[in-house]
Amino acid sequence: MSSFSLYVDKGTWLHKLHPYTKLLYILVAIVIPIIGGNLYFFLITIGISLGLLICGRTLRRALPLVAFSFTLIAVIFLVQGLFYHDNETVLFQLWKLTFYKEGVLYATRIGGNILNMLLSFAVFVLCTSPQELVEELEKSGFSPKFGYIINSVFQIIPQMMKSKNTIMDAQRSRGMETEGSVMVRVKAFFPMISPVVMSSLVNTRERAIALEVRGFGRKNPKSYLSERTKYVGDRIAVLVLIMILAAVIAWRVVTCL
Amino acid sequence: MGKIFKTKFTVATIVLIPACIGINYLGKLIASVLKLPLWLDSIGTCIGACLGGPIIGAICGALNNLIYGLTTGDNITLIYALTSLGIGLVVGILARLGFMETFLKALVCAVGGGLIAVVISTPLNVIFWGGTTGNVWGDALFALTQANGLPVWLGSFLDEVVVDVPDKLITIVVVYYILKGIPKKLTALYDVNAEVERLD
Repeated sequence: MSSFSLYVDKGTWLHKLHPYTKLLYILVAIVIPIIGGNLYFFLITIGISLGLLICGRTLRRALPLVAFSFTLIAVIFLVQGLFYHDNETVLFQLWKLTFYKEGVLYATRIGGNILNMLLSFAVFVLCTSPQELVEELEKSGFSPKFGYIINSVFQIIPQMMKSKNTIMDAQRSRGMETEGSVMVRVKAFFPMISPVVMSSLVNTRERAIALEVRGFGRKNPKSYLSERTKYVGDRIAVLVLIMILAAVIAWRVVTCL
Repeated sequence: MGKIFKTKFTVATIVLIPACIGINYLGKLIASVLKLPLWLDSIGTCIGACLGGPIIGAICGALNNLIYGLTTGDNITLIYALTSLGIGLVVGILARLGFMETFLKALVCAVGGGLIAVVISTPLNVIFWGGTTGNVWGDALFALTQANGLPVWLGSFLDEVVVDVPDKLITIVVVYYILKGIPKKLTALYDVNAEVERLD
């Protein structure tokens, strides 16, 4: 299970918060820079997210996510800094490349947006167990079938990864080339994907029968394995988030007047 | 038109959705193992669409991106839930119209799926990333169009076309051969026009 989801229970207050509270945090963190309209707001929200990640003792697990996004941000800086359509003011020259102020500012906005979203999602993803999220969604009225779909994805993927490795070894031992030109690699894609897909489709039939036999399709109300105890932190967190949002809206209104 | 969208929400279709989401993930993983400059992350969505119909395809696509976005922290995919939904819907409709029956027709279906992906992704790319897609080939082309002073949306559109159409071609070819190969007892589970015969 754990190989796919990034969640690790560290038992901090952030982990104990209700999933919905953390979802509200994502919303607030994304909305603040849009309402504020100023690049510095990105600094604030990114800073808060980093602070929360440190509180949740998951900062180190968030770093690979950030590192991954840096290639994307680098491409955006390169493309927009060099070729943005409103480019006029030269910012600096590097070798033969001229970077323009307008493009770099635009790229900063996009990059800030990406980092902001990434980190606020990381706060949610790294500190919320998927099972808990699904159970809370079911309690607030989502269909248990929907819950089953999500939970079962987490069980199916590690299984499929295992069979993928088996099949890759088998095909390699039969002499399949996995390195070389693009055409060679595209050709290698077919013998690798099709056996896994076939077997997982055939498995669905058995799984469907097994579930049907256990009364999965019944419509009577379901009970839950774990009861959630109320956590005081939730109320405080929601209150603080709404206050911050209100403050930013007020700031925007005042500066516009 | 009612027949195209007809959907059976049985246990079999509900079990199909997570399997398809898993297949999507696997396709993406194998593409990265082989260092292919394509996404190949909609094989499962297309299988779901062909077996279960457009509605199941759309659900597979949207849930796929929502689940990965909310659990692996890869929230860039979250935005493209709309694209996946569109692919599932269009491929499902085309499959119901009989475009998965022969190889040549399947290619038409692939181009259809690729184009809908382009049409939905382009505005998202422009809004969120200023036009780039994060794919090496596509972004090189985008930089070229911008250097020549073409409008952003056109550059981003071409950026997507170069990536998405070949991507969906390979996807649909895989799906076509897999659907030809799976046993009838499996496909019969998803046949909307099947009727249960009663002996009493």
